[in-house]
Formats: sequence, structure tokens, C-alpha cells
Amino acid sequence: MNNAIEVDNLTKYYGRPGAGVLAVDHVNFAVRQGEIFGFLGPNGAGKTTTQRMLTTLLEPTEGRIVIGGHDLAREAYPVKRQMSLVPEESNVYTELSAWDNLMFTAQLYRVPRAERGGRARELLETFGLWEKRHVKAEDFSKGMRRRLSIAMAIIHKPSLLFLDEPTPGLDPQSARAIRDLIRRLNGDGTTIFLSTHQIEEANQLCDRVAIIDHGQIAAIDTPERLKQAFQRVQSVEVALEPDGQDHGQALAALPGVTTLVKMGDKWRLYTEDPSALLPQVIDYARSHNLRVVSLSTLGPSLEDVFLEITGQQIGVVRHETQQGRTRRRGMRPQMGGER
Amino acid sequence: MKNRPTQRLRDELAQASAVFVKDVRTYYLQPGMIMMGLLTPFFLFFSFSVRREIAPAQGVAQLLAMTLFFTAPAAGPFIIPLERRLGTYDRLLAAPMSLLTLLLGKTAVGAFFAIVVCAIALLGGVVVLGASIAQPWLLAATVLLASFAFSALGLIFGSIPTRRPGDVAMPSMLMRWILLFISGVFVPLDEMPSVARTVAYFSPLTYAQDLMNHAAPGTGVLNPWLDLAVLLASGVLFLLPAVLMHRRSRRLGY
Repeated sequence: MNNAIEVDNLTKYYGRPGAGVLAVDHVNFAVRQGEIFGFLGPNGAGKTTTQRMLTTLLEPTEGRIVIGGHDLAREAYPVKRQMSLVPEESNVYTELSAWDNLMFTAQLYRVPRAERGGRARELLETFGLWEKRHVKAEDFSKGMRRRLSIAMAIIHKPSLLFLDEPTPGLDPQSARAIRDLIRRLNGDGTTIFLSTHQIEEANQLCDRVAIIDHGQIAAIDTPERLKQAFQRVQSVEVALEPDGQDHGQALAALPGVTTLVKMGDKWRLYTEDPSALLPQVIDYARSHNLRVVSLSTLGPSLEDVFLEITGQQIGVVRHETQQGRTRRRGMRPQMGGER
Repeated sequence: MKNRPTQRLRDELAQASAVFVKDVRTYYLQPGMIMMGLLTPFFLFFSFSVRREIAPAQGVAQLLAMTLFFTAPAAGPFIIPLERRLGTYDRLLAAPMSLLTLLLGKTAVGAFFAIVVCAIALLGGVVVLGASIAQPWLLAATVLLASFAFSALGLIFGSIPTRRPGDVAMPSMLMRWILLFISGVFVPLDEMPSVARTVAYFSPLTYAQDLMNHAAPGTGVLNPWLDLAVLLASGVLFLLPAVLMHRRSRRLGY
């Protein structure tokens, strides 16, 4: 399979090399033609910097980017014709109507004059903005601006689309509509490069993901293979009635529990051996006259893998739990998405 | 077909034109543009001309030169940092067009603004003050060339790597004030001491004012062809630092 993007030794210093801030550190990866490639990382890991270099907005300090067979440093023009970017902030012209925003972008990308109107109408209808086509974008909601921003990015039918955090801050309906659109675009042959810290979104959408941390690629594979590599972060999830914080101490002390996390009305007990832990949880409920509302074993989620790789959260909690103390929700740094 | 130079040139011209039309529709009525580009030159003119005996044609020459010099460079320092802050400038930088095309489109925005305001000022000067224009075609050529040259001058400030229009408003305004006082607008070139005249020759406004003096009252001092050549060269040269600063912005991440 051909590669849509090849990145070789990509490095970015803000400031003087060696003395400035190293945002991206000799990164190597390839994105295959036609795949949805997730680029995951915590805030400040280098996601946006990498994406800005891939879209010609930022000059690399070192390294080589090849897109569609063209070296970006020397042949940016043919690459720019074929790609598009949806940045984190919806960059629409608020003084212009939705229709005028699309027409302007179509002119910028030299969409043939005869096709502009038809494509704009199709996109506005797809995104549910047709009725509002003459309304200035300043009167749009955040979700509407997001949809317009994506419509503007695809009016020239790019073969490669970069999306930076496409759904945070959107209501569930808008977020789902955008995820469906990403799948549809990919189904039509568009290669998608998705930067996100929404782990579940990447899990649902991506063929492969790369996890970047401190400017370096920490892992790169399909979501399922990454999960298989981290079987030790399996867990048992239980909801007890009556619920209460006082269960924490006892559940954390059960043999084999490495980490305990309170998740809403449930307790998640991380363990390397869920089958051994299950009967102990049931015994605990029975001996305390508690009703087991739900009980399930869970494999590692992509979020678990992400946390494990970026080395920030689970390790810390595990250490303290092994000392016999219970960590509750809120002591674990917040991550987007859920299982 | 698409890669042929003529097709590429047509594409780039169409893109520059699209940027121009979009900016006109988006920014011409913004308070920053009206304040810096429209009101400032008129207030300046009236501040310096009230209670002074100036012939109508000379007054029109001064008003037009000041209008060109304050209106044309107002667009770049206002629009580019604002677009950087809103993220819309990234849309332009990521589009398949050269940086020069983008800058030419932006230059046209300031230039056209100045041409429109000059036309209004000229109309007022002729109708209200009864000024007569000695060489209308020379005046038209001056307005055209000077508006592009001064708009390109403003683009240098607009290209400073920042996302805050306020960061570039101060140096841009300061530069205009300094050049205004050394360029023979208020003191005619032939009445200046030799040192002041030598300094004035370094300012493009000197040549625009001299051309206006040729065109309106017919009192220019320098060869008008020299004036035109200097304005043309200035416009081209001013684009160079703008290009270099944009490249620097790309390294810094603006």
C-alpha cells in the first residue's frame, strides 16, 4: 500500500536548536493511503506542532516530509492542492455568510466556476446549514461553525484531510455527525490525519494510531494491537448498592488489585488476573449484604494504553494503592472520552 | 494543463483577487480601518490647514498625499495580525498559492481603500474648494502608484510575527508620523534647508507629494518621471521585507 505521508526525522525547536524548546524530537512515521490515522497525545506533546509542519504552516528545524510522493520543502504547491486542514479553532470568516465562506474557499482552491454552487449546496445540505446559508457566521453556534469549517475544508475534495481536535466542546449530536462524516469521507477515499486527545474517538475511528509524548512517538499500531500489548491493565468493574466511599479501602485491599478508581457509581479494580478477582468481589458484596448492580470484566481500553504509555496516571495510582491507600476519582488526572 | 505556467499565473491572479474581494467585504467597515484609514488623514489635514492660507489646489495636493499615506498602509497592520489571531490567516497560508500572491492580494486591499478615499477627497476638493487639477492623468497615475507603494509599506508592519494588531499599530503609526514631517508635505521641498531636503529624499512620501504638486497646482520641484520611478521601485522593494518577515513567522510558528 502506498504511503500518503512519510515523515523522516522530523524535529522542531522553538528558538535556537539546542537552546530553545524542543517541541518535536526526531519523529518518524508513515500514514498509509486511505487510512484514518490517529495522532494521540496529551496537551503539549507535540501534536499540533507536527500537524502544522505537515500542512506547511510551520517550518521544521530538521527532517523531511513527503506527501503524495512530493517533498514538502521543495514541492509544496501540488501537495497544497490535494490537502486540507481543519484546525482546532473553527477559522471561518464571521463577517461572511456560510455561502460566501464556501464560495471564497472554492475560489482559493480553484474549484471550477461551474461546480462551485453545486458543491456548496451539497455540503450545506449535508451539514444541515442550507437554511442558514445567507446568515453571517458570527451568528452561528460553535457546532455550526465547526461544521462550516469542515465544509470549507472539503469543498475542493482533498485526498488528504488533517483534522485537529474536531469534536471537543460540541454537543453529542454534533460530535456524532462529525464522526460519521469522517467515516464517510474516508469511505470515499480520503486519507484522514486525526489529531486528538479524545481517546475513545480515536478508538472508534482510526485504523492506526500513533501516541506522541514529549515530542517523541511512544507507540504506533492499530488500537486493538496496542490493547493486546497491555493485557496487564485489565480490570473488573462493579456497581454496589448501597454505594459509598467506604468500600474503597476494602476493595483496594483485595488480593491482586493494583489500582482502584471510582468512576461515577462504579468501582474499577485494575488487576492482572480478573478471573481470580471476580469471586473475591462477589464474596465482599455477600459478606457486607450489598447488592451487585452490575459486574463486568474489561480488557485494556485505548485510554488505559495511552495512560500507561505516557506514564502519567496508572503507574502513580498503582504505587499508592500498593501502599494500602485508596485513590478516588479526581486524584487521577482528567482524560477525555470514556470506555 | 494545470501545471503550465500560464495556467498557474491565471490561478494565482484569481486567488489574489479572491483574497482582495474577501478582505474588502470583511474589513472595510471595521472600526480600526475607519479610524486609521479614513478619519486620521482628514483630521490631520484640517488640523494643519485651519487658519493657514493655502490655495485650493495646493490644499487638495496636500490632502491627497496625506490620505494616500495614512489610508493605504492602514490595512496590512490591521488585517494580518487580526487574521492570525482568528486563525483565518492559516487558511490563506495553507492554500495552494504563493506567498507573493497572498501579499499582492493584501496590498490591493489597502491600495483600493486609499483610491476610494482619495476619490472622495478629490471630489470634495474640486466641488467644495473649487480646486482645479493641472494634470488629471498624472494625478491618477500618482494615486495608483502611491497607493500600492504605501500599502506595501504597511504590509511590512503587518508581517511582524504577532497575533495582536496593537503590537504593530504603534510602530506603524510612529513611522508614518516621522515620515510625514520630513517629506515636504507641510514645508515645500524647495524651501527646506539642504540637510532637511537630503533627509526628505529618503522618504517615498516626498515623491508622492511632489507628484501631487505637479498634478494639482503645477508646482512640483523634481522630475515627475523620477517621482514615478521612485514610487514604483518603493512598492516593489517594500514587498521584500514583508516576504522575509513572513518566512520568519513560519519558522516561529505564527
